[in-house]
Amino acid sequence: MDYFSGISDALRVTFVQMMILSIIAIGIFIVGMYINFKKWSMGSTGYGQAPSKSIWAFPKMLMYQMSQHAHVHNQSVLETIVLDILFQRRILRRSKIRWFMHITIFIGWMTLFAMSGAMFFVEMTHMIGERIGFAETLPWFMSPEVFRELLAVPNDVFSYILLIGVVIAIYRRLFVAKARESTIAYDSILIIGLAVITISGFIADGIRTGRFWGFGIDYAYAPPAALFHVVISLLFCIAYIPFSKYIHILAIPFTLLANKGGE
Amino acid sequence: MVKRQPSITTENFTAVQLMELDACSRCGECVNWCPTYDASGQNPGLAPRDKILRWAEFMKKSYGLRARLFGPKQIPLEELEQFKNDVYGCTTCGMCATVCESAINTVELWESMRANLVKSGIGPFGKQGMFLKLIGEYKNPYMADNKDRINWFPADIKVEEQAEVLYFGGCTAELRQRKLALATARVLNKLGIKFTMLGEDEICCGSALIRTGQYFINDTAKINAQKNVDNIKAKGAKIVLYACAGCYRASLIDWPRLTGKELPFKVVHVTEFLQDLIKKGEIKWEKSIDKKVTYHDPCHLGRHVGVFEPPRAVLEAIPGIQFIEMERIKENQRCCGAGGGVKAGIPDLALGVASTRVEDALATSADILSSACPFCKRNLSDGRDAIGAKELEVEDVIVLVAEAMGIDLSDTPAE
Repeated sequence: MDYFSGISDALRVTFVQMMILSIIAIGIFIVGMYINFKKWSMGSTGYGQAPSKSIWAFPKMLMYQMSQHAHVHNQSVLETIVLDILFQRRILRRSKIRWFMHITIFIGWMTLFAMSGAMFFVEMTHMIGERIGFAETLPWFMSPEVFRELLAVPNDVFSYILLIGVVIAIYRRLFVAKARESTIAYDSILIIGLAVITISGFIADGIRTGRFWGFGIDYAYAPPAALFHVVISLLFCIAYIPFSKYIHILAIPFTLLANKGGE
Repeated sequence: MVKRQPSITTENFTAVQLMELDACSRCGECVNWCPTYDASGQNPGLAPRDKILRWAEFMKKSYGLRARLFGPKQIPLEELEQFKNDVYGCTTCGMCATVCESAINTVELWESMRANLVKSGIGPFGKQGMFLKLIGEYKNPYMADNKDRINWFPADIKVEEQAEVLYFGGCTAELRQRKLALATARVLNKLGIKFTMLGEDEICCGSALIRTGQYFINDTAKINAQKNVDNIKAKGAKIVLYACAGCYRASLIDWPRLTGKELPFKVVHVTEFLQDLIKKGEIKWEKSIDKKVTYHDPCHLGRHVGVFEPPRAVLEAIPGIQFIEMERIKENQRCCGAGGGVKAGIPDLALGVASTRVEDALATSADILSSACPFCKRNLSDGRDAIGAKELEVEDVIVLVAEAMGIDLSDTPAE
């Protein structure tokens, strides 16, 4: 049985090594978030109060603000989560095209992330089941091959949704004068990272399945291509978040919650 | 070896505000709408997005991963001085917060940056440094004798010693633009509303100190807010009326925050009060104002606290008024340019913003540009004069109400 889409033995990269890489990525993420939490918590837990020395200052202040009455619009947490965080209506109010770009990236990215997580869960359950001896009692769809097939179409759909968003983002930064002139490395790294992850995913899948995105590359290159995609995804999707503009993935929802959806 | 110290501190920032620095997606909406960025000829330093990025960089240099491993990177004093100039070139109008896709509470962020810079000895900006001394010494920023707040009221004005309604006049209306204070007092008298005032016991609401980041020095703003609250309570007031948007905002939002207590009275803008009376049919109009009138939302009344409809309802109720809206109104209104200490600190910038707003009004072919804040009136009048639009009258809503109620204000003392 091959795990992680069959990249194991061919590259002499074992499942364990992939797990170690994942744990390192998660470890870097945790350290980075700890540094960010420490940095944020250097603020106070109330207006005009002395800076805090506790790492809990940030969650405390966040909860405090969420519990306060807002003068302009005092919307509920649920409304903020559904309309502002998930539907992103603040972006829609300002620009339809930017909203479309961002919502396609958001939906594509989050769904692919969730499906990767689900695939990982099935692989782990199956592997443990084989070791302990309950693999045969698992439902039919908990077989990695079956589950991978089940995810094949949604994977394609959401990958294309993500690709649409990435293409619009790149187009804006290259051809829309206002966006191009204000672009700095901080912005570029985000989009380049996203583009590399998306395109490498298409290519890895294309080589494996022999479809268009494989560009006729020999099947032998499927494992390294998949490995590249996995490694770069782990680095950009997880490890690099706290140190880059990717932090907005967490900071914007926190801000929306703290300010009850904003003014 | 002595370890290097960070060039900045996190004083006066809340933990959520420090997080908000990382929430900017740099979409640029704030830049598109910022009135001072626009009036400055698009000075990139004034762009809200740029200010967030720069302070986030300062934080990274001082407390980021590299700083933790190898020590903080020094930020040259000139860079901090330049930052100060830019962060004080903001009227705290809040337009950037309204359009911010990340919902960053930018106004409070700028105020925290200012307070931080004041604490480190870099801020405030120019003449704004006088506010503390003036308010401390005179209880108002105009160097006026505090006894002169209402002792100039003509003899017909009846102000009760104690009453359930208190009119908090504010420094600008009582000491400079007295027509507004006189109009408010006479309107209340004519409506038979028994009201009281603080008179010489009134102290500056603190808006000037809070907006310019000086509120914490000697706890002046906090002490003054508490004194005002205590004095209002001593007058037996349950409702406090405001005709000044700055005082209204300071009382509603800043006083409870400074004193750490809920206010023991209701804060009401005079237009909200009048709207209620109009609904009850308790206002008798005696004169028609046959003019086209447009309305400028003061930032501190509109965007900051959400009072958009009452002033419009009052204007629309006045006989003869043809009410027309400007293109940018309510949440998307364009600032008059006076707030945030800009009028005192950078008058040319304030004038530039005001001129643009006057042009907005001229585009509607209105005869009167009205507002509900003496500070807006002052700066919009200056803007009108600067572009030579003499045909446009700039007047406060309460003055128009007084006129339509047949109240004579010709005995208003000169400024």
